[in-house]
This record gives sequence, structure tokens and C-alpha cells, in this order.
Amino acid sequence: MPEVAVKPGRHREATLYHALAGVGAGNGRTLAQLREAALKTYELSELPVWRRSGFWTTSLQNLDLDALQDHAPTDAGEQPSGGVPDVVQRTLPDRPHAGRLVQNGGEVVEVELNPALAARGVILCSLEDAFRDHGELVGRWYSKRLTIDRHKLEAANAAFWTGGAFLYVPPGVVVQEPFEIVYAIDGPGVAQYARTLVLGEETSDFRIHEYGLGEDFSDGQALHAGAFELYLQDGARCRLAHLQDWGRGEVYDVSTRFVGVGRDAYCHWLPALLGGHLVRQHLELAVSEPGGDMAFRGLFFTEEREHLDVFAVDLHEAGPSGGDVHWRGAATGESRASFEGLIQIDPGAQQTHTYLQIHSMMLSPKARVDSIPSVLVSADDVSASHGGTVGELDEAAIFYMQSRGLDRPAAVRVIVEGFFEPLIAELADEALEEIVRTKIAGKLAAAREDIEAYATSR
Amino acid sequence: MADLEIRDLHVRIEEREILRGVDLDVSRGEVHALMGPNGSGKSTLANTLLGHPSYEITEGSITFKGQDITESEPHERAKAGLFLAFQYPVSIPGVSVANFLRMAINAKREEPIQVKEFRSQLQHAIDLLDVDKAFTSRHLNDGFSGGEKKRAEILQMAMLAPDVAILDETDSGLDIDALRTVAEGVQRLHEEQGLGALIITHYQRILHYIKPQFVHILMDGRIVLQGGVELVERLEREGYDQIRQEVGAGA
Repeated sequence: MPEVAVKPGRHREATLYHALAGVGAGNGRTLAQLREAALKTYELSELPVWRRSGFWTTSLQNLDLDALQDHAPTDAGEQPSGGVPDVVQRTLPDRPHAGRLVQNGGEVVEVELNPALAARGVILCSLEDAFRDHGELVGRWYSKRLTIDRHKLEAANAAFWTGGAFLYVPPGVVVQEPFEIVYAIDGPGVAQYARTLVLGEETSDFRIHEYGLGEDFSDGQALHAGAFELYLQDGARCRLAHLQDWGRGEVYDVSTRFVGVGRDAYCHWLPALLGGHLVRQHLELAVSEPGGDMAFRGLFFTEEREHLDVFAVDLHEAGPSGGDVHWRGAATGESRASFEGLIQIDPGAQQTHTYLQIHSMMLSPKARVDSIPSVLVSADDVSASHGGTVGELDEAAIFYMQSRGLDRPAAVRVIVEGFFEPLIAELADEALEEIVRTKIAGKLAAAREDIEAYATSR
Repeated sequence: MADLEIRDLHVRIEEREILRGVDLDVSRGEVHALMGPNGSGKSTLANTLLGHPSYEITEGSITFKGQDITESEPHERAKAGLFLAFQYPVSIPGVSVANFLRMAINAKREEPIQVKEFRSQLQHAIDLLDVDKAFTSRHLNDGFSGGEKKRAEILQMAMLAPDVAILDETDSGLDIDALRTVAEGVQRLHEEQGLGALIITHYQRILHYIKPQFVHILMDGRIVLQGGVELVERLEREGYDQIRQEVGAGA
């Protein structure tokens, strides 16, 4: 008997966000054609507002796009960039890596690749250089699944991106240390159109840590409109982590990231969304061919007046395939976070087994976390289900720890860290784990009074 | 002057008065048993002594080592040397027993404990409580059996070396082997470290392993009888009802 365990959920009708259509904009068109089409969309469209029936709006109407400049290095008279910004040097771990590419604003300021890997055919360079030096290869994959016309900022990215990152891992190449790709915004006035393309050939095995880091600033705005695409060929394996913290500036982040998992390939993906004034991300992990498997992990922590809107898609286009989605989030201050997780199983993706869970924790009376799981299934020999919890601080656990001598803030920290720990440990990279732990501890310390007031008010 | 002095303690929870004037002294090196039927206020007393925020002290005082701690925060009481072994220890997911112990020990110290010293203390406690070493790398109380939770409580007690420990129905839900291990652990801490213990229990059986010098019977929020170990035997013979009638009649 086929196992059909589908819980469509009440939210199905309310679902406003959609998985990307099967084919992206790239197919058969040159970069110039794509840029031209994207520019047209950009000029014809307004800044986007996303609404989910009645209770959620993500609006970019406060973004003054005209006031931002994309930091292309070509402007005469403009100071050349100062290299790798402080925030990157402060944050990135001092650790061995396979390669590192840093883009500050619109300009790639550092590219480093282990020569031994270069000798084996690994490519890490700016996407601009990749189009110049590896045009045929890049052209085949560029925007293969990403669209350019769903909204103004997606179009802006496709039309205006500069710098960018291209990583190519040839067949059979196994790399232990991570490739680090960094997008940094070092002050207000920046519109960063970031573009990463990664291709993992057959049976390659590697790690990517992509960072989005912002310097703190108080006046003005900045924008990161990002597009990320990763394609894993037959039997390839990749551990992918995104770590994003735009700091205390008014940074808008509107990004789309797509990971395509090929035949018998595997991807473990963990975005850690740890700060940004307004963040709207479409994250899609697709098993595109039989035998593909994936673990889609994620964590977020919002504070103060931050607004986070995540749409995560667990897409199965072919079966048999496996999926396992597990996200955790916490909110302090007056922040708002919405996580919509969609399991979509396309016709023909038989023998897909997937599960989505989302756990959230409210740490302040004015914070809000909405979790919306939804399931769209068009195959009958599958199992797909979801679950989750919404929690507050467990006072019994706090008293327990206090009775052992921990003061209240320490006890709260233990609980929140413990809440995230199962996912942090899955990063399986000590240096990166430490960054995440430190950032979460910092956010908890900053929200100490708020959390305290919440506890005593109940 | 006793280390822990409880004077005329009245405690309310949600408008209901549970303790109605409790007086009790416990010092280092002494073992006390506090017995009473269900609902007599035993756990209320245990939680109040550590400053649980849900319990409101309406009258009376708690003094510990000469300091009035009636209004102190729970962690201040712990740092001063009080300990509560919980009846129902809560799970702390994501934190290993060893890491939690290190945090708790460091909370009491100026300088963080040296790794070597911590390890040797932990090993000592592990031997005392007859637990597997792997036990300390599991998340605290997360998925623990009843017996494992109680062992973890006593393990923490051994590591934190309090002056006075309150053991809230530590014997409940334990099979005879676990009970013996836990009780012998407490007995040894009493003998080796001079631990003072207030053993709260409904039953007599833990007192077969730890001999109390002082026995107090709590009923309806008051201590109605006090004596030595002979009280336990009497209770075993006669039951709470008999004693209730007697003290009721005498009141």
C-alpha cells in the first residue's frame, strides 16, 4: 500500500508565495539579453509589497531606492574601496579555508583560492570574470532556475549586478575546508546587487559558507538584493551555510536562493538569519532528480524592530527523494518574523518522503513569530507532514537553573542557546558554530531588560 | 544559631494559604526528615526555601548562615549554600550535564574552575552515584528515566557541595536499587562533607538508608510533631490518620 500521510493544513488557500516555476530565465538567452529584459521589468514595476491574507505584510515602500547608489568602481573621482571591510575581518573566523571571495558593496575586493585546488580545476572568481573567462560554462547555468521578473528588486539584481561570485568544483573533487563567499555592506547609501553561482560537478564534495555582513550605521539606508544559485550534479554532496547579520543599520535584504539537487546528490543547507532591518528571503531547495536527498535547516533571531519574512520551499520534482526541513527561530523586542514553509511534491515525484518542522520562541510581549507550514502534493505514493511548536520561556526551567546558582539572564541564555543548539551543532564546523553562538548570546544580552520585563509581567 | 532558621513561615499560592506558621532549624552535619501526607505543604516549603516566584511569603522569615534570605533571589540562595533536589527535575534540552555543572560551579566562583579540577570532581561524583560516564554528556534530564533524573540531582548536589540540601521526595518513583544508590550517595555526602539535609518524604523507606537525627511531621501547613527516629517507626505502625487524630484532639 502506498503511504499517503498528507496534512494539507488550513493555510493552503492563504499561501501567497509560490515555488519558482520549473524553468528560470537563463535558458538560451545571453547575459546581455537577460539584463535588457530585467531592466524593462525594473523600470515598469513598483517596489514590492507582499501580503498574506489579513495578517502579514512585507512592504518595501520605505526604501528610498533612488537615494542609493550601486558601488560600481567605475565612477571617476570616487575613492577606490578600502579593501576588506572591518566587519568582515572582525566576524570571519581565522581558520583554514579552501578559498575566499569578498565583495564590498558592488566590488569584489578579495579573491583567494588554494593553489592546489586551482591546479585540480576548481574555479573561484568574480562572476564578472567568470563570464569573461568561462563564458560557455557560466552561460549554461546562469539563471537556469532563477527568475528575473517576479518583482522589481529581483529584476534590479539581474539588471545591475556587479562583482558576484562563481565557484566551480570539478567532478570527483573533494574539499574538506569551506569556500567562503562574503557580501559586505560597510555603510549607508549602498545598493548591493549580489549574485552567486555555484556548480558542483558529479561526485564532488565540498562546503560553502556564504556570509552577508553589515557594518553598524545610524543614518541612511542600504540594500542587499541577492541571488544565489547552486546546482549539484549526480552524486555531488554539499554542506551549505548562509550566515547573515546586517548589523544595526537600516539594511533591506531581498534575496532569492535556489539549490538544485541532482541524481543521488545531497545537500545540507543551513541559513542562519541573524539580523537585518527588513529581510525577505525566498529559499528553495529542490530535489530535481531521482535519488536526491536533502536536509534543510535554518535558524533566525530577530530583535528590536526588525522584520523578517522567510519563505522556504522543500521542492521535490522527482522521486524517490528525501527531505527533512527543520527551522528554529526566536524574537525579542518589537520584532516580527514570519516563516512560511512549503512542501511541494510535483507529479511524478513518487516515493518522496519529507517532513517539515518549525519551532519558535517568543522572548518579548511585543515580538511576534508566525509559522505557516503548507503542503502541496501532486503525487500519491509519498509521505509529507509537518509539525511545530511555539514556545515561551519555561519558567520552571529558569527556576531550576536559578536554584543551581545561575542568575536569571544566564538561565535564559542557557534555554535559548539550548533551543538553537541542535541546529547549531549540525553546522559541524566549530568556527562557524562559534560565530552563531556568539551572535545569539550578544542578542540575548542586548535584550536582557526586555526579556526580564516580559517575565515579570506574566 | 542554626544555619537554616525558618521562623513562623506563612506561605500562599494563588490566594490559598499552604504553610501556616512553620518553625524549623537545620544545620550543617544534621539530617532531618520532614514527613507528611499529600497536600500537607511539604513541596511548598521546599520551593519557598529556594525562592520560587509563585509562592508568596505573607509572614515569617528565612535566615541562612545569619543572613535574612526571605526576599533573596533563588540564585543568591544557591550561592549562599542552599540546594534543592527537585521532586520533578525539568529537562534542559541542548545543555549537557557536564556543561551545566561547569556553569553552576562557575556561578559560585570568582575564577572559572580549572578543567583538571573539574574533571576530578566530576569523576568523584560519578563514582559516588554509580552512573555511566556517558551520562554526563547527555542533555540534562532530557529523556532521562525517573531514576536517572534523581541521580542527576544528587550528582549536582555532590558537585556543588552545599551546606544544607533540601531533598524533595527524592525517593518517589525510584526502584529499590536506585533508591539505595541515591540514599547512599546522600549519606556519604553527609559523612564526608558534613552536608546538612532536610529530607522531605511521604514514605519511610528512604529513611532505612539514611538515619535522620530529627524527624518533623507536617500537617495542614504546620509542624505538628517533632522527635527522633522513633517517630518514623511510630508513623510506620500507626499511619498519618492516627497522628492526625491525636494532634487534632490535643489542639
